Amino acid sequence: MKPIIEVQNLSKRYRLDPTGKSSVRYATLRESLAAAMRKPFARWRGNGQRKGEIIWALDDVSFDVMPGEVLGVIGSNGAGKSTLLAILSRIIEPSGGRAALYGRVASLLEVGTGFHPDLSGRENIFLNGAVLGMRRREIEARFDEIVAFAEVEAFIDTAVKRYSSGMYVRLAFAVAAHLDPEILILDEVLAVGDASFQKKCLGKMDDVTRSGRTVLLVSHNLAMVSQLCERAILLQHGRIDAMGPAASVVAHYLASLDATPGLS
Amino acid sequence: MRQPSPRRRVAASPRRPIAASLLRRVLIDSVGGRPYTPSYNPCLYWHVRVSDKRGSLRKKHEMEPALQVASDESRTAPPDHQAGELPRQPVVLIEANRRWAALDFAALWQYRELFYFLMWRDVKVRYKQTMFGVLWAILQPLVTMLIFTYFFGRLARVPADGIPYPLFFYAGLVLWTFFSNAVSNAANSLLGNTNLITKVYFPRIIIPGATVGAGLLDFAIAAALLVGLLFAYRFPLTKGDLLLLPLVLLVTLLAFAVGVLLAALNVRYRDIRYALPFLINIWMFVSPIIYPSSLVPAEWRWVLALNPVTGIVEAFRASLFERPVAWGPLAYSAGFTLVLLGVASVAFQQMERYFAEDI
Repeated sequence: MKPIIEVQNLSKRYRLDPTGKSSVRYATLRESLAAAMRKPFARWRGNGQRKGEIIWALDDVSFDVMPGEVLGVIGSNGAGKSTLLAILSRIIEPSGGRAALYGRVASLLEVGTGFHPDLSGRENIFLNGAVLGMRRREIEARFDEIVAFAEVEAFIDTAVKRYSSGMYVRLAFAVAAHLDPEILILDEVLAVGDASFQKKCLGKMDDVTRSGRTVLLVSHNLAMVSQLCERAILLQHGRIDAMGPAASVVAHYLASLDATPGLS
Repeated sequence: MRQPSPRRRVAASPRRPIAASLLRRVLIDSVGGRPYTPSYNPCLYWHVRVSDKRGSLRKKHEMEPALQVASDESRTAPPDHQAGELPRQPVVLIEANRRWAALDFAALWQYRELFYFLMWRDVKVRYKQTMFGVLWAILQPLVTMLIFTYFFGRLARVPADGIPYPLFFYAGLVLWTFFSNAVSNAANSLLGNTNLITKVYFPRIIIPGATVGAGLLDFAIAAALLVGLLFAYRFPLTKGDLLLLPLVLLVTLLAFAVGVLLAALNVRYRDIRYALPFLINIWMFVSPIIYPSSLVPAEWRWVLALNPVTGIVEAFRASLFERPVAWGPLAYSAGFTLVLLGVASVAFQQMERYFAEDI
């Protein structure tokens, strides 16, 4: 069978500025112009190479995901998980390699993206739905379901800035949970709210993963990864360190944590 | 270069301190109580990371994942109710170093609903929690008009081509207020939507586009008062007024082009944010808003007409007050707008790729 996601030699490189400032953030026009003035000389001096330490946030990552598969991505902080998802979500561009996705993608890197505090719950459902790529008709069709899932029926016409934080995240998760793409990309957004709502979220996630949809899930919650995912990838320093059945990869990850001198 | 290190088995260290052992215990419990045993992973290859000193992209060779565990059939088996055939061509193709991508109209069309929703949001949010609400759209040009009428009309006696001062100023101000608000709101729109840009994909040009579009409502409201003033001063509606619609479209496109360009620059160079109010102020004084271009000596009028706003404002007034339209400057403005639109959309397309990292 053909994979629905093909990732080949995907890399992402960041350059740390030697001056201590990140090379792109808050660059001023003056700095840029100055750099452009110096550039010809810098090219002769440094053989075209700019100074600055290079960081490979993702380094030659390749994997395939079959249709209907639920793939977990685990790894320590800074291992490149979020970079991988951001590239697959087309938010940032890779420095090398390619990825092909054979289906409609919805990515959920954060709960409640695009929520506007001044708008009512009703208005935010439509806005957030549109941001996540839902059609207006889809949102209308699922509106009641979303409201019921979020348990905010009484406050649907109240501005969300008046919501309790629990109500807010419940509504946000409810919209996201009713997405219906072929490929779903999730980043640590699951299980929000109180214990009973978390259970509901996990139940919904379980439904989603069993519905034949392809899911890519990044999480630090290893229990959840081994419960929801068939296969998992372990990223370390931007590279794939292990790939295989979720439970073995999680176990391998735990073992590598044990082997880290800092912990023992 | 890169050498696979000797195979190593990850075995439980016999002398593991209690703390680590406890931590491991807890972690394993969270996995579901399945304790880790070395035999669980049949083979573990460990790679030594060889850092590339040059850090260039040349170091791409095939790499096997360090651990490839034979898949467990029961878990990897796809669900029975499988989605149908996959498309032959990828729906989404992500590649490094795309160059000179043209504006993707198909993608824009696909995201038209988001455009509509963002515009609707801007309209909804603009006058939330204000006392005067949408009246602000009239108040701003109206008060400015009154002040200008007094200072420039009564005191300085700026010529107004024989048109009553209030009408003359208000006509120019309605158009200018729309243009300047559209440009400055669009220029700041990307920064104001950082959360969307860093978390969701869509053609970014939708954001400044929706901002400019939302400004059209304010313009329509302010223009309603203009129609009232026209009636009050007994200017009849004529065929010449049909030119107003294309003129509004033209000024919208110009505002969009300028706004898009500034918005993209603003992501990387925050200087734009500080230079913008200044730029807008200067721009107003080099546009015939508070004076007619006939005030400028004939041999220097072409300098004023280099400003693309000039041709549009002059034609706007001419068609309102039944004067002959200066087609030359208007044609120049239209040409300028189209060229700038092309330049701005290509430039935006180029810079868009780094928005999520730069912002």
